[in-house]
Amino acid sequence: MTFVVVESCIKCKHTDCVAVCPVDCFYEGENMLVIHPDECIDCGVCEPECPVDAIRADTEPGLEKWLELNAELAGVWPVITEQKDPPSDAHLWKDTENKFELLSRNPGDG
Amino acid sequence: MSVVEKSQPNFASDQEVRWCPGCGDFAILSQMKKIMPTLGVKPENVAFVSGIGCSSRFPYYLETYGMHGIHGRAPAIATGLKRMRPDLQVWVVTGDGDALSIGCTHLLHALRRNVDIKILLFNNRIYGLTKGQFSPTTPPGLVTSSTPGGTAHEPLHPLSIALASNATFVARSVDTNARHLGDVLRRAAAHRGAAFVEIYQNCHIFNDGAFDHAKDAAVREDHTVELVHGQPLVFGKERNKGIRLVGTDLEVVELDNGRSAGDLLVHDEASQTSAIAQMLAGMEHPRMPEVLGVLRDIDLPTHNDLMPDDTVSVAARADKINQLLETGETWTVGG
Amino acid sequence: MNECQQVEPVVRGSAQNAHSVVVRFAGDSGDGMQVAGSQVAVTSALMGNDIATFPDFPAEIRAPKGTPAGVSGFQVHFASSDVLTPGDQVDVLVAMNPAALKVNLDAVKPHGTIIVDVDAFDRKGLRLAKYENNPIEDGSLGEYQVVEAPITSQTRAAVAEAGVGHKIATRCRNFFAMGIVYWLYGRDLDATIRFIDTRFSEEVAQADKLALTSGWNFGETTEAFERSYVVPPAKPKPGTYRNVTGNEALAFGLVTAAYLSGKELFYSAYPITPASDILHKLSRFSECGVRTFQAEDEIAAICSAIGASFGGALGVTGSSGPGIALKTEALGYAVMLELPLVVINVQRGGPSTGLPTKVEQADLFQAVMGRNGEAPMPVLAASGPSDCFETVIEAWRIATKLMTPVMVLSDAFTANGAEPWNYPDIRTLEPISIDHPKAMTHGEPFMPYERDEWLARPWALPGTEGLTHRIGGIEKQNGSGAISYDPQNHETMVNLRAQKVKNARDLMTSLEMEGERSGELLIVSWGGMRGTCREAVKRARGEGKSVSHIHLRHLNPFPKDLGDLLRDFKQVIVAELNSGQLLQLLRAEYLVDASGLNKVRGQPFRIDDIAAQIDTSLEEKN
Repeated sequence: MTFVVVESCIKCKHTDCVAVCPVDCFYEGENMLVIHPDECIDCGVCEPECPVDAIRADTEPGLEKWLELNAELAGVWPVITEQKDPPSDAHLWKDTENKFELLSRNPGDG
Repeated sequence: MSVVEKSQPNFASDQEVRWCPGCGDFAILSQMKKIMPTLGVKPENVAFVSGIGCSSRFPYYLETYGMHGIHGRAPAIATGLKRMRPDLQVWVVTGDGDALSIGCTHLLHALRRNVDIKILLFNNRIYGLTKGQFSPTTPPGLVTSSTPGGTAHEPLHPLSIALASNATFVARSVDTNARHLGDVLRRAAAHRGAAFVEIYQNCHIFNDGAFDHAKDAAVREDHTVELVHGQPLVFGKERNKGIRLVGTDLEVVELDNGRSAGDLLVHDEASQTSAIAQMLAGMEHPRMPEVLGVLRDIDLPTHNDLMPDDTVSVAARADKINQLLETGETWTVGG
Repeated sequence: MNECQQVEPVVRGSAQNAHSVVVRFAGDSGDGMQVAGSQVAVTSALMGNDIATFPDFPAEIRAPKGTPAGVSGFQVHFASSDVLTPGDQVDVLVAMNPAALKVNLDAVKPHGTIIVDVDAFDRKGLRLAKYENNPIEDGSLGEYQVVEAPITSQTRAAVAEAGVGHKIATRCRNFFAMGIVYWLYGRDLDATIRFIDTRFSEEVAQADKLALTSGWNFGETTEAFERSYVVPPAKPKPGTYRNVTGNEALAFGLVTAAYLSGKELFYSAYPITPASDILHKLSRFSECGVRTFQAEDEIAAICSAIGASFGGALGVTGSSGPGIALKTEALGYAVMLELPLVVINVQRGGPSTGLPTKVEQADLFQAVMGRNGEAPMPVLAASGPSDCFETVIEAWRIATKLMTPVMVLSDAFTANGAEPWNYPDIRTLEPISIDHPKAMTHGEPFMPYERDEWLARPWALPGTEGLTHRIGGIEKQNGSGAISYDPQNHETMVNLRAQKVKNARDLMTSLEMEGERSGELLIVSWGGMRGTCREAVKRARGEGKSVSHIHLRHLNPFPKDLGDLLRDFKQVIVAELNSGQLLQLLRAEYLVDASGLNKVRGQPFRIDDIAAQIDTSLEEKN
C-alpha cells in the first residue's frame, strides 16, 4: 500500500504534506507534487494535512491512473524536503474540477 | 506497484495498522515487508515475537506466525520457541522501555546464550503507549510527563549493553533511512546466532526530533559514521573527516588537514574482542558523530548448538522411559 | 531386580514380631541422615514391607554445627501392612548429638527407644544445644529406653583399617548408626552394601562398610537392647515396585506424558526449594525427548515454556509459591492465548520466603484465583508421591483437550517423601491424542479462535502453510482471533474461557470414597494429606464410628458429584494445612455448612490430629 497525490493538487501545490512526511517521499513538479510509491511508508501523516484533500490511500477504488502517474513522475522530478509558499493563485483553483489537462510535466525546483 | 514481485510471497497481513500517523514504526514495517520476500523463507516458517509497547504491535501487521507477548518478556518467549523449533526464523520486536527496563534481564540472557533470534530494538527514548514518561534511554534534562523538571539520570546505551552481553551481532540503523535499514535487516537475518539491532525511531508525538542529527538529510552525514568492514572510518558531507584511535580514546580528525585515511581507525566487525566496538558504541552526539551499521558480527555456537540433542525417536522412547523407571532398586511381588 | 520372597528376614534368638515401626534419624545437616533414612526405606521395601518416608531438613544448607537450627531428620515408617503415612510418633530415635535429641524428643512414643551418640554429649555439644544438664544423666529421659552408643569413637576405631583420614572416618558415623538399626529390626545389609559400592570410591566404601557392620555388631553384642524385632513382609498388590519421591514421580510423569502425546517436553525452571529436584531429574532425560532450560528468572521460565507450547511442544514450568507469584502475569497470558501448558507448584510454607523446606497447602487460593482479570484454569493436586505421576499426565491430557494452562499442586511433604510405587509399563498407558489443523493451500481464511465441541481452539503449529496467525494478550475476536475491544465480544470470551475450564469436569473419573456416600460425618482432604486422613478414617470406622472420607484431586473445577455428596452428610470437616482455603471454596460453591481442621506449623497432619477431630465432631453431635 501507498498514498498517492491526485488531481486536486494541480495548480494548488500547498506543500503542507512535505513538512510532516518522515521519509521525504514527495517529489515536485512545476504545478503539482507526487509521492514515490516505493518510498512511502503508509504512515498516513500527510493525508489530513492537505488543504485540498489531494492525498488518498491507494486502496481507494479508481486511483490506478494516479498511482501510475505518481510512480512515473517521482522518477523524474526532484525531491522536495521543505515546505514553501503555495502559488499566489492557488485559492482560485481549489474547487476547480477536471484539472488533469492543466498538469505540467516539467520538474519543479525541488 | 513495484514493491513485491508476483512470484514472491506477500508478508503484509490484513490488519489495520494503528500507530500514530507519521510514526517511525511505519518506516521500519515498510522495510521489513520489503526485505522479507527477498530472504528465501516462507511466511509460515517465520515467527515474530514482541513485548508490550507501540513497537510490539509489529507482529500483527505481518502475515507470519506471531506472538504479541507481555511486557519485556519477548526474548524469553522467543528462546523457548526457538529451542523447540530450530526450523523457524524467529524475530523479536521490542522497544527501549520493553527491552531495557522491565525486560532487561531477558535481553541480556538471550544475547549471552546466543539464541538464534533477531532482536530489533526500536529506540525512541520515550514511553509512547503510556503517554510520554521518560524511558531508560531518555537523555538527561528532557522534560517528560513524569519529569516536569527534566529527566535526572544518565541513559543506558543499547549497543553497549548488547556488546557487554557478548552478543554475536550488533548493529544500529535509522527508521527512515530505507537503504541502510534494509541492508542491516538483511545482515541480521543472515546472521546465525543472536542478532541485536538498535533502530533509531522517531516518536513525533512525545519526543519529536530525538534523532534529527542522524535523520535529517541536510546534516546527518556530518553527525554519523557509516561503518564498513575493512574500511577506515570516514564521514562528513564532503567525506573529509575521520575517526582516529589516540591512546585509549577516539578523536575526530580533518582529512584535508594533513591527515590521510591511512591514519584512521579501520573497522573490523569480526574482532573477537568487543573493546573497539564498545568505543564505537560510546560515540555520542553532539560530542562525536554516532556510528551506523554493523559494529560486530562473529560466529559462535548458538544456544541450540550447545544443548544436548540426543533424543531418540518417539517409538524408541518407550523402552528408554521404561529403563528409567527400572533404574535403582526394584522388586517384584508375585501374584 | 529382586524377588522379595527370596529375602529372608534376619531372626535372632530373642527376636519378636513387630507389625509397624517408625524410625527417625536425626543429626547435623552434614551427618548423612537423609542417606541413612532412605537406605532403611529401600531395604525395608526390598524385604517386602510397605513404607513411607518423611525427610525434614532445615532451609540452611549448613546451619551452625551442633545447634538445634541445623538439625536434619529423616523418618521412615515400615510395616507388614499398608502404610499410608510416615507415622505420627517414632519408635526409635537415633540422635547423633544433643541438639538432635532436643529437637526430636517430642516425636518419640512413650517408652520408645532413643539411641544417642554419647560421644557427642560432651560439654561443647550440650552447650550448643543449650542443655544445662546432660539429659542422659539427669533423669529427664526416664520414661524412654535410652541406648548409649559411643558411635563416634567406635566408628573411628572400626574404620581404622581402611586407612582413611580422620575426617572421612568421622563421616562414616551414619553407617554405624544404621548398623545398629539394621540389627534391631533384622534388616538385610545387601542393598545398602550395593549402594555403598556404587556411590563411593573404593577406600571410602570400605570404611562405610566397616562402620555398618560394626554398628550391627554393637547391636548384637551390647546388652543395651532387650530384644530385636522382625517385621514380616506386607502383602501388596502383585507387580513390580520401586521407591519414588513426589518430585521423581513428576519428572517420570512429564516424560511419559510427552511420549504418550508424541511430543517433546520443554521444562523450564528457576532454582527454588522444594521444586528444583524436578529440573535436576529431567535434565538427565534428554534422550527421551526432554529439553530443560534453567531460565534467568521465574518469569523467563514460564514465558519460554509458553513459547515452546506455541511451537508445538509440551511446555512445562515448575516452581514453588514465591515463584508462582512471579509467574502470575504470564499465567494470565497463557489463559488468554489458550495454549496448553502445565505449571507445577510444589507448595511450601508461606507467605514470602516463609518456611522454604516445610510443608503447607496454602497456595490453593493462588492457584484457583490468583490472577488479574477473569482467568480461570484447571487445578489438580497430587495425593502423594506416586500419585504425582498420574496427576501430571492427566494435567497434560486436560491441557491439550481444552487448550488451557493447567496448574498441578504438590507440596514439600509429597515432593521429598518416598513410597513404594507399582510402576507401569508405559506402553500400556492410554495415548494422548492431539489433532493439529492441517495446511490450507487455497487461501481460505484460518480461524485461530474457532471452537470445537469442548470449546477449545485449534492448536495450529508454526511451519504449517496457510495457518499463519497472531496471538497475544489483547482480547481477541471469537473465531477470527483479530484484536477486539468490542464489549459484547469480551463478555462472550470471558464466559467461553470459564465454560471451557468447567468442561474439565467431563474428563474426570468419579470420586473415590472411603465409607458410605451419606451419613454423620465426612472428612474432606486434598493434596498430600490423603494417606493421613484415609488411615484415621479407616481406624475410626474399625471402631464402628460413622465417618467417611473423600479426597479431591480436582480443585478447579470440582467433580460433578461433589455437591450432592457434601449435602448428604450431617457434618463436613475439611482437613488442610492452611487456614481454611478449600473450606471457603466449598462453602462458596455449594452453600454447605462445612467446618475446617487446619494446621499451619510447617508439619503434616498426624493421624491422631484427624482421629481427635473425628471424636470431637461425633461427640458434639451427641
